[in-house]
Amino acid sequence: MSNDVLILAEHLKGKVSDISFEMTGKGRQLAVAFGGKAVAVMLGSGAAALAATLGADSVLYVDDPALAEFNPQAYGRVLAALINDRAPRLVMVGNTSMGMDLAAGLSVTAGLPLMAYVNGLAAEGGALAATSQIYGGKIQAEAVPDGEACVVSCLAGAFPADAGRVGAGLVPALEQIASPVPLADLQIKFVRMIEPQSGDVDITQQPILVSIGRGIGGQENIELAQELAEALGTAVSASRPVTDAGWLPKTRQVGKSGLTVKPKIYLAFGISGAPEHLEGMRGAETIIAVNTDPKAPIFDVAHYGATCDMLDLLPALTEKIKA
Amino acid sequence: MLTSFEKLIFILMVAVFGGLTAWGFYQIYRIIRRGRPAARFTHVIPQTVKALLEVGLQKPMYKSRPILTTFHALIFFGFSYYILVNVNDLLEGFLPGYSTAEVSAGIIGLLNLLGDVLSIGVLVGVAAFLVRRFIAKDKRLEYNKDVLLLPGVAQGGIKRDSLIVGLFILCHVGSRFTGQALRLAEMGATNPAQPFAGALSLLLRALPPSAFAPAIHASWWIAIGLIVVFLPYFIISKHVHIMAAPLNLALAKQAERGRLDPATSPTNGQGQALPLPGAATLADLAWPRLMDAYACIMCNRCQDVCPAHNSMRPLSPSALEINKRYWLNANFNAFAGGASSPPLTEWAISPEAVWACTTCYACVRVCPVGNEPMADIIDLRRRLVNDGAELDSGVQSTLEKIGKTGNSFGQAARNRAKWAASLDFKIKDVRKEPAEFLWFVGDYASFDARVQEITRTVARVLKSAGVDFGILYEAEKNSGNDVRRVGEEGLFEQLAEQNVAAMSKCTFERVITTDPHTLNALKNEYPDYGGKWETIHYTRLLAQLIDAGKLQLQHKLSHYRVTFHDPCYLGRYNNGFNPPRALIRAAGCEFVEMPRNKENSYCCGAGGGQIWMGSTPVGERPAENRIREALAALDPSADGAGGNAKRLLFVVSCPKDVVMYSDAVKTTGNEGKIEVRDIIQLIAEAMGEGRLLTSNHKPQNAIPA
Amino acid sequence: MNIVVPIKQIPNLTDELEINGDGTGLDHDALQYVLNEFDEHAIEEAVLAKEAAGGTVTVIGVDTTGELDGALHTALAKGADKAARITGDFPRGTDSHTQAKLLANAIRSLSPDLVLTGVQAADDRDGQIGPMIAAHLGLPYVGVVTGVAVKDGKAIVHKEYAGGLMGEFEVSLPMVVGVQAAHQPPRYAPVSKVRQIAKTAKIDEIAGDEAAGAGSTVRRMFKPEAAGHAEMWEGGPEEVAEKIAALIKEKGLLKG
Ligand SMILES: Cc1cc2nc3c(=O)[nH]c(=O)nc-3n(C[C@H](O)[C@H](O)[C@H](O)COP(=O)(O)OP(=O)(O)OC[C@H]3O[C@@H](n4cnc5c(N)ncnc54)[C@H](O)[C@@H]3O)c2cc1C
Ligand code: SF4
Ligand code: SF4
Repeated sequence: MSNDVLILAEHLKGKVSDISFEMTGKGRQLAVAFGGKAVAVMLGSGAAALAATLGADSVLYVDDPALAEFNPQAYGRVLAALINDRAPRLVMVGNTSMGMDLAAGLSVTAGLPLMAYVNGLAAEGGALAATSQIYGGKIQAEAVPDGEACVVSCLAGAFPADAGRVGAGLVPALEQIASPVPLADLQIKFVRMIEPQSGDVDITQQPILVSIGRGIGGQENIELAQELAEALGTAVSASRPVTDAGWLPKTRQVGKSGLTVKPKIYLAFGISGAPEHLEGMRGAETIIAVNTDPKAPIFDVAHYGATCDMLDLLPALTEKIKA
Repeated sequence: MLTSFEKLIFILMVAVFGGLTAWGFYQIYRIIRRGRPAARFTHVIPQTVKALLEVGLQKPMYKSRPILTTFHALIFFGFSYYILVNVNDLLEGFLPGYSTAEVSAGIIGLLNLLGDVLSIGVLVGVAAFLVRRFIAKDKRLEYNKDVLLLPGVAQGGIKRDSLIVGLFILCHVGSRFTGQALRLAEMGATNPAQPFAGALSLLLRALPPSAFAPAIHASWWIAIGLIVVFLPYFIISKHVHIMAAPLNLALAKQAERGRLDPATSPTNGQGQALPLPGAATLADLAWPRLMDAYACIMCNRCQDVCPAHNSMRPLSPSALEINKRYWLNANFNAFAGGASSPPLTEWAISPEAVWACTTCYACVRVCPVGNEPMADIIDLRRRLVNDGAELDSGVQSTLEKIGKTGNSFGQAARNRAKWAASLDFKIKDVRKEPAEFLWFVGDYASFDARVQEITRTVARVLKSAGVDFGILYEAEKNSGNDVRRVGEEGLFEQLAEQNVAAMSKCTFERVITTDPHTLNALKNEYPDYGGKWETIHYTRLLAQLIDAGKLQLQHKLSHYRVTFHDPCYLGRYNNGFNPPRALIRAAGCEFVEMPRNKENSYCCGAGGGQIWMGSTPVGERPAENRIREALAALDPSADGAGGNAKRLLFVVSCPKDVVMYSDAVKTTGNEGKIEVRDIIQLIAEAMGEGRLLTSNHKPQNAIPA
Repeated sequence: MNIVVPIKQIPNLTDELEINGDGTGLDHDALQYVLNEFDEHAIEEAVLAKEAAGGTVTVIGVDTTGELDGALHTALAKGADKAARITGDFPRGTDSHTQAKLLANAIRSLSPDLVLTGVQAADDRDGQIGPMIAAHLGLPYVGVVTGVAVKDGKAIVHKEYAGGLMGEFEVSLPMVVGVQAAHQPPRYAPVSKVRQIAKTAKIDEIAGDEAAGAGSTVRRMFKPEAAGHAEMWEGGPEEVAEKIAALIKEKGLLKG
């Protein structure tokens, strides 16, 4: 077994996903502790340029026409072969749509333990400890692998991405290889990509939501929220009184008689936090509430709160985001 | 006076049209028999007497629309009396020399007088109805957009029917009346017993003498002959209600309003396949529901009072009955002979309408002929649920939550009594020690953060009044009242069984509930599952305590002007009208009734599972409508600008109402003008326990000084 | 077509989760267990696939709660045809590796054309069972799937990526699918039907062999902070805006 950390980098539509940088940064840190190297692995077809953006100790780029698009079977085979070949100490995979297809299967085929939903990784005296966020984010579990080697699947946003980008004097050695295993006889065939339908925005699909309640005061102020949402590249959602009043379409209503949303960040501005509203947004990863009333029940479910006037805050925040 | 030939013709006509009519009625009988069995033949005789008396006095109709009902009463009395008159006319026609037009004394004189006056009554009544329908175009006879209507209904079939029958009555009565006038004119007589016909006769004297005989014959035929010709038309017109309505009233449901009819007809067990619950097609409905279609007079009274209709949803209870009737007219022989109907949701009532009903019972209560459109709707829901139809997402998730956790909030059972933790005393666990009262708290009162403070207030007031009570803690489950009313019969049964089992293990004398929905299930439906306890609402208990001097109110809350909303399941369903009013009076508040009160109370829109629905309809919500009604009744401007302005309260006695109306006060923009309070909060304040206002009811300077 | 749906029961997340005495696991006995919501979607998708293409649906699970039958009866009421329960000394909270191995062994003998299971479960600390079952059986796996259509021995599946983008794959059967969402919300199972089935249905019982084990050990379990009340930020709009912007940035949600 080596002391290397193998990191599976993801890319989609010609863009390296942030999770890749996040894991690369963390992986390098861990590799130092293990006394090994952080090896980022990217699979693709003619994507060497993408691979070159990864700030690992070395980057292994596997090029094969069958790897042009993500294919769980092809990816699984190549990774299994690489793990077999290099016997890394740690394999890092994203707990993402792609990574979730791979990690658990690799754990079985490679006979390595897997710790999933990881949002914390530490090497204490050379031994790895992984913290998993489970039970819908209600519980953290810190675990250690029974053997030395293991696979972890990491949650997006758990580690800073900047630490994993090329720069700051680090120019990784890029090695391009052909697939170590045949990929001609796959049972899974990629057919096509389907773009999300444009139409009114689907607030359930946004990673961040600017949500407003009656604190917005009137239709004339909706614009303030729209501007912030635009700057964030997302949409405005609302409590029922706002959609009732027709200030926003019904499709933007969050709550019991509206939609249930689970964004990464839910900005609740001028929303009191009635049970019917909470029902629709409780599952958000981080809730930030702004309400002039310090006793508003929304603060009981929010992670962060402030009691300033939302009408002052909205333009201030828009400015900060645009800057 | 008739010639022999005329007599022969008449007898032939009676044979043909009478026979046709008799056959028609037999078919109707067969049609109604197609419905599934229902227990309706108890107390038939006293019920019939009662029904006849009620119909005689037109009592069921006076439940609403008093002016129109008066016109109807004119027609009804006139028509009923005309049975006698028509017999006399027949005798005049057939017995040579028998003539009564000129008689003014004795029995016949009286008969003439009444006939004369009532003729005018009928003519006025019918004219009023025709004016209403065809000239004034009463809005109440129209349907909301998207209400499912059979083509015949949509194309104005009801209007045509009204017109035909209206004209028939005008011809029949008018002709008979004119006949009387013609005969007086022919004789050159006046008759003080026929003042109106007499007056007309003075004009008719101008006719040439040779015209009288043919005119009198013609008027006889138009009056009496027309009836015979018309008899078969009755079978297909809405005017068959003349026969069906009294019968429907006589065979109407006897049980408590709050006890739903069973979801299936009773089986005789023996290994036969269980019948599917509820109804999909016409023949799945219980037979009284088929009779409803024949009794319906298409008056739309039920639609008038329907909260779903009034918030512009595509539900009309009357359209349902009328569609049923039109479909039966169109498939008369086929259905009588055993053909089945397409699913009701395709032509009688849309699925969306089925799910819009709040089960408020207003339509059933108001219907003058004893129809129960709500029963059809619940039967449809039962079958839809059973068939795995796509349910509203909110309803489905709530049912799943109740199935999993026993409460509609999906909370862990052990959190049920969490509300009680912050009390400074411990409430008895009735599972462990006996208590006089078992308090069945209910889901909203237990779990909704906005209501918990009120629930604690109930506990404190009861405690202060020395009431010996306990609760079931985590053994209590959702009562299932609304579960049953969204059609989930199996889950209801399961909940009823579980609650009855838990309660059976406890020692107590009576049950009190805070939630009227819970009250209804325990009081009216649990007996069928072995739960035979006396169950009362806490307002009744409090009123009793005050009467007995055990609960003393120190303060007079005369600075409040309040109105009270009767919750459907406390008021209309369970006759709990008086205790809340007695409590408000005892608390010394100025009390104002809303126009729609007690039996006429308007649903808040939460019942029948509506509070669980995942989609909000667009129109004015019932609760908003109600808040506006309350504000109009309380008239905030009445106090003038003086410093003694009163605070306006909207008083409720149902945990769901607290939620619904607090919301509606906000959505109608009336915060600060009116506050929602539970009755217990008034009592607590009047007791002098201090102001027990929850965070949702922060004391505000409601009216600027 | 032979469709198998492996399912898993997990704690009801609306319950307050309590950590056990030694701080390494949940106090399972105090918890109510319910079916994993993604498995509900897998069952729905299976029944839809059966309704479209014919075949049978077998629902199977490891009985870690002693209450698996309830979930199986519900699945039968929703349209599954057969149900099986794997028994043995497998307590509540049994790890995914163990469950996946037991399920794979049982499923192998059913020779399925299509295995549909929930893409994940809230307690999958050691990974999701779908890909593990696939690996044990040597079958292809695609997860985060929102729709399966079967035709001529092939399945067309739609896999969801971030931002609503979707990849379409064609897979020759047999295969394992991790279902994210059925293409129709899971149907409701009326209780009367479930109760009727509970009285009559036969559930196959399969004795499971020993536990595979997760391969990792939990040292400490704890609740994340900030549950209960928000951490309040002081200051005026400028300061608060600053903090919010920083947090958005930290989460990597800034566009551009
Ligand atoms: C059956 C039913 C279903 C329902 N379904 C839903 C649903 O799906 N979704 C939903 O949202 N609601 C729903 N509701 C309504 C719900 O009960 C609440 O009424 C609603 O959520 C309140 O909306 P809000 O918080 O915007 O308004 P409010 O409760 O009026 O709160 C406004 C808040 O803004 C604050 N504020 C005011 N001015 C400012 C300012 N300048 N800056 C900062 N803060 C300010 C105030 O302090 C207050 O807390 C439902 C209600 C019922 C009865
Ligand atoms: S019960 Fe109430 S809501 Fe339902 S149809 Fe009748 S009046 Fe309308
Ligand atoms: S059901 Fe009753 S109230 Fe409704 S239209 Fe018919 S007769 Fe009138």
